Amino acid sequence: MVVLRAKCIVAGDSTVGKSALVQTFHSDGSHFPKSYTMTEGVEVCVKSVVIPDTSDTVELVIFDSAGKEIFYDHVKKNWDHPSVVCLVFDLSSEPSFHSCSKWLERIRNQKPEIVLPGVLIGNKLDLEQRRTVTPKFPMEFASSHGLEYFECSAKEQQNVEAPFYYLAQEFYKMYQTKAETITSMAM
Amino acid sequence: MLDVALASAGAQVVLATSSDENFPPENIIDGSGSTFWLTTGLFPQEFIISFTNLMNINNIRLLTTNVEGLSIERSVQNEPVNFEPLTEKVLEFVEGELQSEDIQVDATTAHHLRFVIKSGFDHFISIHRVNVNGSAVH
Repeated sequence: MVVLRAKCIVAGDSTVGKSALVQTFHSDGSHFPKSYTMTEGVEVCVKSVVIPDTSDTVELVIFDSAGKEIFYDHVKKNWDHPSVVCLVFDLSSEPSFHSCSKWLERIRNQKPEIVLPGVLIGNKLDLEQRRTVTPKFPMEFASSHGLEYFECSAKEQQNVEAPFYYLAQEFYKMYQTKAETITSMAM
Repeated sequence: MLDVALASAGAQVVLATSSDENFPPENIIDGSGSTFWLTTGLFPQEFIISFTNLMNINNIRLLTTNVEGLSIERSVQNEPVNFEPLTEKVLEFVEGELQSEDIQVDATTAHHLRFVIKSGFDHFISIHRVNVNGSAVH
């Protein structure tokens, strides 16, 4: 039995629902913040994910980061040694999707030589009528940057856990691979 | 001068910030380079090796993978407290083999050594051996 720990950076433009997503996931769906509170700086929470068919766990240390540009200088100070990336945009806001490449670059620049598993999440799937981003472009963007694409609704608790489970799994796989590589290297 | 950081010489790892039963911290002091302690994510990581008593030490050798920023601290107390800085290193990335780092410490004494890995070239780093050349202070 092993407990791994991964620093999960959640980034994206302001008001796309990063905090709503994180809080919904963290509370197993019991807490969706109904009114908007702007995140200033970074809010940290921890959520354990059990890896299926094992007794192993990945603790995601989630860094819910302010999307407002004015906090960025402060935010990036908390981004050293990232383990996994979670990019969020709003399916009803094209600009928020286009910003994802900027956010990804900023996180990867922390440690360019390290492989960072990542997800791209289109949030607010419940706002069907106002949707302006079709799945085509995010899917293309995700696959060209080695990310996995998810669509979800934090409000309706739809598909919120899937991206985080994916990140935990990927981190777990990296650990397994690393353990094998080092074992054979040290023989 | 002998390697005093061996379990067979009475040394112990009294603290380690990662624990996977397949790669326990005791692997650092078992005398073998093929077994190792593997960290399980996040930085910094640290471990403390305690010797049987106060030792004169002059050389520390590390066998590792993916370690970048490293600092070593020493304590001369009976309990592992009141650590003071001994040395700081930034290691080079080595592809496909272990990093071997020789660190000269001008004749000093220590009862406990604390190794802090501040950063790595990967999410996970491994420590295979810590050799500490020393002898008991009489």
